Amino acid sequence: MFLINCPYCGERDQSEFTAGGEAHIVRPKQPTELSDDQWAEFLFMRKNIKGVQLERWNHSHGCRKWFNMVRDTSNDRIHAVYKMGQKPPIE
Amino acid sequence: MLNFNNPVIDTKEYSEIRISKTEPILKMNLRGKNRDFITKIGKELSIITPVDPNTSASNEKLNLLWLSPDEWLLYSNHMIDLKDANFLDDKLFNEISKKKLGSVTNVSDHWIMINLNGKKVFELLSAGCPYNFNNFKNSKGAVTQTLFNHIDVIIHNKNVNDLNLFVRRSFSEHLFLWMNDAASRI
Repeated sequence: MFLINCPYCGERDQSEFTAGGEAHIVRPKQPTELSDDQWAEFLFMRKNIKGVQLERWNHSHGCRKWFNMVRDTSNDRIHAVYKMGQKPPIE
Repeated sequence: MLNFNNPVIDTKEYSEIRISKTEPILKMNLRGKNRDFITKIGKELSIITPVDPNTSASNEKLNLLWLSPDEWLLYSNHMIDLKDANFLDDKLFNEISKKKLGSVTNVSDHWIMINLNGKKVFELLSAGCPYNFNNFKNSKGAVTQTLFNHIDVIIHNKNVNDLNLFVRRSFSEHLFLWMNDAASRI
């Protein structure tokens, strides 16, 4: 159990949130020109690294807004939280 | 057609906690993003639309709760009859939805409002909420959406130790029974 600082509502318990996987995956401009493997790569394949990762989260039991988070998956330390459409604050 | 028949929720009193239901009341969900929408609902309802997170605004008839940056819940203070509800529903629908400023949805039959009051209400809430009520307790008009015994609820701090809790109709009877059980042990 840990606290997440929702950019809209403030600090809330993690049980109110849903993880949405890796952030900043760009949709291919011409999906029709991709091979099945390339399309599957875009649709399904996600990194799940041990260390600092950029992730999407949804405050599903609060304001129901999506936002991004920089989280260290090895110790659940949250380095930054930022809104959708914004650039990650750290590399 | 709206269903104003409510699940059986009686008034129950425990030491320092009173659980009761005020129904039927009007509840409406308002969604919109632009500035015109925000000023329009303020004008139509004679309420300054709350734009700060976790806040609300009230007049003698209505309360407007902030739910998210583009969503508000409107509810009436008193029990209403269907005629009044339809009048306000039509008025907002014509002024907002039809003019494409935002969307208006009547959710009177979707949420059930349960009133909790007494000195120990926050002890009851802390029996099943992951939310920290320390600041919420002291700020009149504060609003929060959280989980209560794993059920989605909206809590409005109406007055000192006087809360209105909104729960989905299908969960209301279960939550009511659970609250009675929890309150009897506090």
